[in-house]
Amino acid sequence: MHAPANSALLENPFAKRRSHRETYEFLVKSVLRGATYVILFATAAIFLHIIVKGSPILFQAKAPFINTEFLTKLPETLHVLEDKQGHIYKTDPKGADAIKHQLGDNLRQEKTISYSGGGILGPIVGTFLLVLVCIVVALFLGISSAIYLSEYAKPGKFIEWVRLAILNLAGVPSVVFGLFGLGVFVLAAPVFTNTPMDRALLVIPLGFTQMSFQGWDTSVLSGAFTLAFVILPVIITASEECLRAVPMGFRETSLALGATRWQTIWRSVLPFAMPGILTSSILGIARAAGETAPIMFTAALAFKDKLPWQGEAGLGGVFTESVQALPYHIYTLAARIPQNEYSERAQYGSVFVFLVLVMTLATASVLLRRKLRAKYKW
Amino acid sequence: MNEDKPSPSSDFQGLIKPPSFFGLRVDRQSLIKHFFTGSAAVTILTLFLIMYSLLKEGTGFLPTYQFELKVYRQAGLEFCDFIQKPLTENTALLSKLNRAVNADTATLTQKAQARRDALFLAKGRIEEKTARLREAVTEALETAGTPPEKLAQARQALTEANATAVAEEAFPDVYNAEERRQIATDLTAMQPDAAEPPAILKTLSAEFTEQDRIAKEKYAGFLEAVEAFEEATEPIVELHDGIAELAKATKEAAVQQHMAEDAKAQLLAAAESAKTPEAKANFLKEAEATSLEAIDYKGKIEPIVAKLPEYEAMIPPYVAAIKAAMEKVPQKGDTKEATALINEVRKQLPKHLTHAEQSPALMKAWQWDKPIPLIQALTAFLFGGDWITNSSWQDFYGVVPLLTGSLLIAVIALVIALPLSVAAAIYTNQFATPREQELIKPFIEFIQAIPSVVLGFIGISVVGDLIKETSNIPWLQWIPGFPVQERLNMFNAGLLLALMAIPTMFSLAEDAIQNVPRAFSEASEALGATKLQTVFRVIFPASLSGVFAAMLLGLGRIVGETMVVLLVAGNRIAIPDFSDGIGTVFQPAHTLTGIIAQELGEVSKGSSHWQALFMVGILLFSISLFINFVSRKVVKRFQLPKI
Repeated sequence: MHAPANSALLENPFAKRRSHRETYEFLVKSVLRGATYVILFATAAIFLHIIVKGSPILFQAKAPFINTEFLTKLPETLHVLEDKQGHIYKTDPKGADAIKHQLGDNLRQEKTISYSGGGILGPIVGTFLLVLVCIVVALFLGISSAIYLSEYAKPGKFIEWVRLAILNLAGVPSVVFGLFGLGVFVLAAPVFTNTPMDRALLVIPLGFTQMSFQGWDTSVLSGAFTLAFVILPVIITASEECLRAVPMGFRETSLALGATRWQTIWRSVLPFAMPGILTSSILGIARAAGETAPIMFTAALAFKDKLPWQGEAGLGGVFTESVQALPYHIYTLAARIPQNEYSERAQYGSVFVFLVLVMTLATASVLLRRKLRAKYKW
Repeated sequence: MNEDKPSPSSDFQGLIKPPSFFGLRVDRQSLIKHFFTGSAAVTILTLFLIMYSLLKEGTGFLPTYQFELKVYRQAGLEFCDFIQKPLTENTALLSKLNRAVNADTATLTQKAQARRDALFLAKGRIEEKTARLREAVTEALETAGTPPEKLAQARQALTEANATAVAEEAFPDVYNAEERRQIATDLTAMQPDAAEPPAILKTLSAEFTEQDRIAKEKYAGFLEAVEAFEEATEPIVELHDGIAELAKATKEAAVQQHMAEDAKAQLLAAAESAKTPEAKANFLKEAEATSLEAIDYKGKIEPIVAKLPEYEAMIPPYVAAIKAAMEKVPQKGDTKEATALINEVRKQLPKHLTHAEQSPALMKAWQWDKPIPLIQALTAFLFGGDWITNSSWQDFYGVVPLLTGSLLIAVIALVIALPLSVAAAIYTNQFATPREQELIKPFIEFIQAIPSVVLGFIGISVVGDLIKETSNIPWLQWIPGFPVQERLNMFNAGLLLALMAIPTMFSLAEDAIQNVPRAFSEASEALGATKLQTVFRVIFPASLSGVFAAMLLGLGRIVGETMVVLLVAGNRIAIPDFSDGIGTVFQPAHTLTGIIAQELGEVSKGSSHWQALFMVGILLFSISLFINFVSRKVVKRFQLPKI
């Protein structure tokens, strides 16, 4: 703005010299700009580091170009065997036995690195299930609350309380949500069973069965419900904004034609607000997928060698089994095992996949929102 | 749609019957409305459920902790800790003196030690690289009847590998050219069956031993003083250990008895609800069999208290010995570090001696049967300086170390994040070109989507090493706290948390600046102010309340963040040592959120530890409510007029 655009070769002799004030302004502006770009560069450096370290693990030069093994195998302990000729074999527990048998006396040393072998199918499936159930619960509760706030509520004490609650819920630390989930869903939520456990808070006989408040244990359901309450404030706020953006005229026209209030909402408001609600909710999904603390005590396990539907409960296991989840898996890999050359594959691979997943969701949300904003203008 | 119109169906109540709903004739419209009202009420319900679940598990903590503290007192553990306190202080002072001596002797031995250690390390690395071939040679030697040429071959391979490994080594410049040559030949010639270590290593070791002897001679007085300092405590330690054992035995008996009481109560309760008379009788019989022998605290405490005169008699000699030892400590060390440490010890010594002298008086005033009120359990939790769990002596749940850790990290993160995000907000809103805005805003919003566990991982794998390496750069040594001891520390965590808080603070601050009415800047510019003057004297001050609210909400995010601090803050449960000044930030710490995440998974449900963690949750919840409350007040109080 103030810097004259001099050609680099030829100094313009007639250019006005910068006054002190202009220099000062320029300096202050540069400091502000510098601060802004520090943030951008720090973030870019983090992304770059993960991409550089992580992409070679997921992608490969040969067809099909993606390391399918990493995405389709369950995590397992990595065995590194070395024979006396200096050959190194990296393998899973079963392979280790075979190679040991084959090598016999020729085996020099064996190292085992927990969780670092195989792939990350278990954590991916777990995160997927958690997010899926969570989003169903959160959207149902969130949109209905938003409909109340924008369509039904009258100014008064109740709505003030609701708004205050939303505001405060948004500020509750995620680990406290974890405690809440543990206290409510894991230990106290109602289940239908014929044989209630001793620790149940309350047992209500229903004749054919009993409703026992004994909790859902650490399970997908507990974790997903906890996560749903973590993102509930985000969903409500976003949904309400979208509902309010629908012009008043739509509702007035509908009511003038004799529609009931519910018909008005269902036919003339929701259809126009829905795209916006869904796109904004994607950001909520990204957040739910990224949270670790709320699922630590409610759903996640450090290690599991079965997929949720392979357990005793069969297909119902997708709700009642505890699962591995990507963020918790990353925590386990980062905090519980020593860092070395063999653990890096699992670490950077999981972080890369996780980041790609979350960032795709976030980008999709931003792009869709921009597109919608251009489409719906009233 | 806020104004309420009577819904059409209720107007025509007489004409149209409300449709049937599960056989009941109810007004469908109002039913729908109630459904939505109910959903909205879920938010309030959730908030109450959070409070309920925290309180339900947490409130049991106070009586449990009260009981534990009562046993701590009645069994005499508290009495023993009166003696333990001066001993702990002595240990702390002693370690400082030791560090001072080491700093001084290092002036003489440092070089020789560096020369020896570098070679040891290099030897270790080379041996690790050639381990396989070394083993091959060993095996060839051990197997009877190995042909000599095969052995020679193995030896040759090892020598070659050694040579390659030596060539790869970057030896520090503490050796001269001649020594380097000798190192290279000696290390290359290493064989597993060599009777002696490489000659050069022996030379260097001898050199160090000699230097060490000279240093010990030179600082003989200082060393003696330190030894005397340590020896002065010996009789006290012996006495303490003797009575501590007695106290612990009493405590264990008390815990056993408490468990038996619980078991009996459970049996009786089971008997109450037993279905058959036989079962009831069985339960009662079992309950009867549980022996509940009252513990004779008074009798058991007597031998412990009886030691008091003996202890009292030990104090004057102890004080005299310490004073005599301090006489022998030189006034000034030969290095800056030693001098600083000696001065610190001299400064803290009078306090330590008064503590030691006062301890018998405190012990005399102490009563084993003084009751502990419930409120004391709460104050011990809120203001207690120790968080000690799974201890063989006594568990303490004092939240101060965690709170200071959380707050210090939050302050570090705020100090970094606030200037950056406010500057970025001002720049983006006032100076950036529209194209730059298009880039900056979504980019910073994007940061929000990075999961915290990923940032924590980056902290462990990248930032930690980066900080440590930077702190070893010679020309940066003026920075307090450098060189950094721990890779994972509060600064590292603060740095990453700052990045996490920036999006929240940036977008709120940017909104606040955006919301300053146009008329303000127009008026300012009309008066002839430059852009810079307008921004810093008109727009920014007008948006201050919003920026302050942004800061508070950012703070809330930082204090509540779990994964980053759990992974990166270093997890040392201790109140940071503030004597380092600003350098304190490079110490590891533990946090309120981190302790819950780390320990809850490992404790048994319902134990005092479990309850204590829920109490920490209550504290965190209150902090977050408080921050929200203050930020709302601020925004309301300083709202700009609408123009």
